Amino acid sequence: MKTASFQEVLARPKQSEQLPPCGAGCATGADIRGWIGVIAQRRKLGLWDAEAFSRAWRMVTNVNPFPATLGRICPHPCEAGCNRAGKDGAVAINALERFLGDWGLRQGLELERLEIGEKPESIGVIGAGPAGLSFAYQMARRGYRVTVYERNAKPGGMLQYGIPEYRLPERILAAEIQKILALGMELKLGTGIGREVSVRELKAQHDILFLGIGALRARMLGIPGEDGGSVWTGTEYLASVNRGEPPALGAEVIVVGGGNTAIDAARTARRSGARVTLLYRRTRQEMPAIAAEVEDALAEGVTLTFLAAPVRIGRTGAEVSSVAVQQMQLGDPDASGRRKPVAVSGSEYELPASALIAAVSQEPDWEGLDELAPGAPWIRSAQHGRIDDALWAGGDALGLGIAGLAIANGRRAAEALHARLRNRELRIPPARIPIAGDAIKSDFHCDRARAVAPEISVDDRLTAPEAEVRGTIGEAQFLEEVERCFSCGLCFGCEQCFMYCNGGGFSRLEEPTPGTYFALKLDACEGCRKCIELCPCGYLTAEPMG
Amino acid sequence: MALVQRTAQPGDNLAAYFAGNEGRRLALTDGSRVGVIGGGPAGTFFTYFLLRLAESVDMNLSVDIYEPRSFTCQGPAGCNHCGGIVSESLVQLLATEGINLPPSIVRRGIESYVLHMDVGNVRIETPLREKRIAAVFRGNGPRVSEPVGASGSFDGYLLELAAASGAKVVRKLVNEIAWDGGRPQVTSSDGSSATYDLLAVAAGVNSRVPQLFSEVAPQYRSPKTLKTFICEFKLAPEALDRHIGPSMHVFLLDIPRLEFAALIPKGEFLTLCLLGHDVDNALIDTFLGAPEVKACFPDGAMPTPVCHCFPRVNVEAAAQPYGDRIVWIGDAGVARLYKDGIGSAYRVAKAAAKTVVHHGVSSEDFRQHFWPACKRIDNDNSIAKLIFAASGLIQKRRFLRRGVLRMTANEQRRGAARRHMSTVLWDLFTGSAPYTEVLSRSFHPEFPAMLCWNLIAGNLVRSRPNGSEERPHE
Repeated sequence: MKTASFQEVLARPKQSEQLPPCGAGCATGADIRGWIGVIAQRRKLGLWDAEAFSRAWRMVTNVNPFPATLGRICPHPCEAGCNRAGKDGAVAINALERFLGDWGLRQGLELERLEIGEKPESIGVIGAGPAGLSFAYQMARRGYRVTVYERNAKPGGMLQYGIPEYRLPERILAAEIQKILALGMELKLGTGIGREVSVRELKAQHDILFLGIGALRARMLGIPGEDGGSVWTGTEYLASVNRGEPPALGAEVIVVGGGNTAIDAARTARRSGARVTLLYRRTRQEMPAIAAEVEDALAEGVTLTFLAAPVRIGRTGAEVSSVAVQQMQLGDPDASGRRKPVAVSGSEYELPASALIAAVSQEPDWEGLDELAPGAPWIRSAQHGRIDDALWAGGDALGLGIAGLAIANGRRAAEALHARLRNRELRIPPARIPIAGDAIKSDFHCDRARAVAPEISVDDRLTAPEAEVRGTIGEAQFLEEVERCFSCGLCFGCEQCFMYCNGGGFSRLEEPTPGTYFALKLDACEGCRKCIELCPCGYLTAEPMG
Repeated sequence: MALVQRTAQPGDNLAAYFAGNEGRRLALTDGSRVGVIGGGPAGTFFTYFLLRLAESVDMNLSVDIYEPRSFTCQGPAGCNHCGGIVSESLVQLLATEGINLPPSIVRRGIESYVLHMDVGNVRIETPLREKRIAAVFRGNGPRVSEPVGASGSFDGYLLELAAASGAKVVRKLVNEIAWDGGRPQVTSSDGSSATYDLLAVAAGVNSRVPQLFSEVAPQYRSPKTLKTFICEFKLAPEALDRHIGPSMHVFLLDIPRLEFAALIPKGEFLTLCLLGHDVDNALIDTFLGAPEVKACFPDGAMPTPVCHCFPRVNVEAAAQPYGDRIVWIGDAGVARLYKDGIGSAYRVAKAAAKTVVHHGVSSEDFRQHFWPACKRIDNDNSIAKLIFAASGLIQKRRFLRRGVLRMTANEQRRGAARRHMSTVLWDLFTGSAPYTEVLSRSFHPEFPAMLCWNLIAGNLVRSRPNGSEERPHE
């Protein structure tokens, strides 16, 4: 007697939430699918628009108190893996976050406190950049007494001094910082450690210290002629402009580097009226800067010269007059996996120049903090930025990264510290592999073009240097864009399973929540696999019958 | 809007007619909205006839067909689960209605039936009268087939036809039915609602839709259903030609709870339909393990099915499938027992459309003009139950099976002018004729005589071969 051959094809569904690529890519660790889902599914969940928006805003700000800021400046690695990219363009997550952040500011929403009652420990935070403020936010909302020390006149760190006004208006950043401060903490501006306050005083005053000092010492190029006037590092230059003291650059500016600081410096210099040439030793492909920003730089008239490295700054008297450039070619891959640029001999040429801005690399500045330096220039820390029980760190001082990562560092350090201080278990979600792209049935969804944010013309940008280049998408656009999310790996209530099941194996939940719309009744399952084959988001996976 | 929408029909209640639409009479008028839930054959036939008849009386209707599924999906998702047999008489009938099934829909013309029993097999050729049948896929073919788009799907073709007739296909799942000032209101899962002057429910018995009516239409009781099993095997073309050929293979096996089973060739696939009581894995295993079944496959090795499902079929008519401004058609109302569900959907849908256009949409209109068509099918089904009881008896009694086999084989071999048993079996298996006709044919005086003789000959005269056209399976 032949054994049951048809049994092999039977399978029953399993509701299995899986990691979406956006969540896997997000530096801040935000539940992107979750907050988009609350808005996209608001009707099914019985939420008014405003309720859904504020719930989503809370989900974002739970891990990132800067949605309006990051919605403007984040290079959005979340969008890189979006399964919609292969269909009609990735979901414009960054533009969505920006809308939501602006909405939160407009509505005057308050950041949520997690615990009431004051904790006995006093926390000192050195540096009011994204890492320090994120750490301070997470500690303050858990009831700790927090003091933040900032040596500059304004808080925000690189967000304040390193990013031009046309990308991130100061009022947006200030408003988001204000929300953090409103939770109750002390912010001491113009207070440098080792300058206004000594490390000893600091240690006496606080039980725990957090180092969010960033990487503010810019490295120079190490080429002849760089000492002297009219040569700046990218951060120095951008900080001066942001302080309202722009240096005189002259008519021919050479910017060196391929990162966001280099692009920001080039575009800012262009706005001063100078002709700007950006030299990058690799090609466009290897440029770490955000692609759209590179496009903007080109549109605004910045000349990009690839495979080019400065070798000498020529001066006429004290004035910079030229930069000698060496042509490069790409050789074998280096430690970073990128192909190493190699000089092409005899290819040197000269460019006229009145100033040079070097935005090649930065490292932590330990001035006044020597006693605290756990390995200079870069901090070596254990998990979650812990150096010892009383000293924690996060942000660029651990290694250069995007603002989102610094915000995540601050949060993770706070969560770990809080668990340690309160003797609680630190729950870290296990590392997961994002859901495979072929588990998503993109054909289920109709083609819909990706939202495009409004932009001002190049002329307007150059005549009003501080005008924000890109605008926030409108509410209608926002509501259309959230609909584009595939909700990879989590039920969004499409009803395919419910609709097709002959056996009645799915029952509608009275009060659905995002991700739970149907209860499975496996007794009724006949193993036909229709639901599994149809589930457009890959939430239903096959389990053997029996 | 036209003042007079139509001319009086002989069956009209003239007093009610002249009382106009403001009177108690319920009728559609120019611009009326009709909702159809379900875009399978019943819904699409209804829409097609409704729009055609309305046009003939110069009435403009706006019809929405709610069908959230796509028949262009492969596998069971895009399918409306059934064996996919359309009798030639229905194909011809549809052609006279202007519905010409394109050749791409018909996967294989069935030319003969092979009846398999433990006592032997017999091939029944197409009767002398043109009674060929066609095998179709309701959806876009089984899981691993080449996608053919709507041009290969029977249901997809009909839905496109309905859309081309002027209906709008609404790709939404119906979530709620309510009354809105005496008119049916349909709410979809996205929260949008629409109110209609008439609602035709053609949602079959395999969806959750029938449950939506328990409160809004208490007079309606959804039909009783039976779970069936359908699966698809993929076979090499030469294996299909050699082992199956252009034949449908029918099994009368003495397996408890098994009612009827057939293998139907379609392109490179072979569809198994299994009807029974409480169809479960054990019954399927027993059937698939039977030597008579295994013998239909090359080397007796059955491939793993590529596609399968457990659809429900209507086995007892719905109670009162009509009301004011509402009518149930297809499997959701009254359908032919076991066979030719598409044919009965056609007849019921046409009766409903005629009633709506020529008489009205009140409960009374449907009772007078629509229900008789349903009742005819229902009565025929009562006869069917008798016939199936008889075939169940044959299935269980080996001496009966011998008699049937011998009689059929002899008829087939001799090319007898009167093939009593062959015709009875043909009509029974294909659903080509009403069950009443099948029964009356077996009342032909020659039939019992021949059967008696064959019963004796088949069981007692063991010296002669039992007349099997093909060798019994070992």
